[in-house]
Amino acid sequence: MPKSFSARAIVPVALAITGFVVVCCLLLYSVMKRDMTRDAVQHATNLADTIVKSTRYAMLKSDRETVGNIIRNIGDQQGVEHVRIFNKKGLVMFSAASDELNHFVDKKAEGCIGCHSGPEPITTLGKMDQARQFKNEKGRKVLAITAPVYNEPACYTAPCHVHNASQKVLGTLDIGLSQEPLQKTLITMGERMAVFTLMILALTIGGVAALLRRSVFVPLELLRSYAAELRNGNLETSPPPCEGELKEVTGTLQQMSRELRESRSRRE
Amino acid sequence: MTHNLENHIEEMAGKPRTPDQLRQEIKARIGRLQAAANHGLWAMALFIAISTCALGDFSFFPSLPDEFQAMLGKPPSFNMISGALVLYSFSAIILILSRMMGGSGEGSPFPHVLYLTAFYGFYHFAKGLDENFWAVFAAGITVLGLESYRIWTHCNDEIRKEQERLIELERKRAFWSDDEPR
Repeated sequence: MPKSFSARAIVPVALAITGFVVVCCLLLYSVMKRDMTRDAVQHATNLADTIVKSTRYAMLKSDRETVGNIIRNIGDQQGVEHVRIFNKKGLVMFSAASDELNHFVDKKAEGCIGCHSGPEPITTLGKMDQARQFKNEKGRKVLAITAPVYNEPACYTAPCHVHNASQKVLGTLDIGLSQEPLQKTLITMGERMAVFTLMILALTIGGVAALLRRSVFVPLELLRSYAAELRNGNLETSPPPCEGELKEVTGTLQQMSRELRESRSRRE
Repeated sequence: MTHNLENHIEEMAGKPRTPDQLRQEIKARIGRLQAAANHGLWAMALFIAISTCALGDFSFFPSLPDEFQAMLGKPPSFNMISGALVLYSFSAIILILSRMMGGSGEGSPFPHVLYLTAFYGFYHFAKGLDENFWAVFAAGITVLGLESYRIWTHCNDEIRKEQERLIELERKRAFWSDDEPR
């Protein structure tokens, strides 16, 4: 059990402030991380929608060269890890990586199993559900978005096409963006929050400790030394300068020492 | 958890007792206080054990049937759970500090373990435990640490007072036994 007055006064305050600030910072970091991830997903979804809309006309015209060119150009962009369009059977029709072309995508791969875990793949997803976060074969963290290319009247009524009206999804665009910029921002934000937390803790606990020391501990120590001097028979010691309640204690001790001195002198 | 000294003195004053009975009562009370002083540590150990399970997202336990999960309904949002956690931590710390200030021995740390486990449960069902585990853990360590410290210091203060009473009793006993005619 801490015997000293300072330890008993500062330990609970330090623990309470440190704990509460750490809890708030962790929750704030978690909320900000979720918000930033949601923004990144929104950005990636918009990008996927833009690609689908950009390739729509070329697909309607069955212009495979133009679609392939668009996909390759997008794949060359910095931060784009992969971009591909595969048909309903999972055969990659267009891809920025030429070695993927005409190969089936692995439905059991980390980025695909989310929708293909059941006997029937999920065909209708919300914005956040379209996003997958995983590490690719290069060990990079990827935020991938799949945007289904839905069957439209223009598709199944076009003379060059073979799709029938009952087919809901014609294919899927899959684009993966590197999470490196997001991770860097999160790390920087976390470090800044940690520094900010440490500064708040140092200021708060240091401030409380300094005030307690100046107002309580130092006058108490002076009072203790004064009492020790009196106990040792040194009745001529002058009392320490104290304020408030401690001044009353000092006055009482001084009064007692004066009475003791008078009593001694009377006896002598 | 513990009675305060005033209640104890009143209780003792109401019934006349022999010095031996009083000594036995004080010793029993010291034993109870010593046991109560460790309640905080037991609660902390229990919380750490639960946190270990929570760290693995309760994968040790079988998942709840889909029907039961459907019956529970949609889990609250992350922001709502996080807001509740901040509110709980703040009010628990204020309550503990006010009890510490008033020198009260009331309250037990075990309900806090229950509340914190509920937070783990909420985050688990909202599928956000991996992101928010450390926040609940830090809240638990803070609240239970403060509560343990409060109980421990209170019990030690009470034990010291009881020991002083015991010494006083022994002194009186020695005084009266010296006066007895031989």
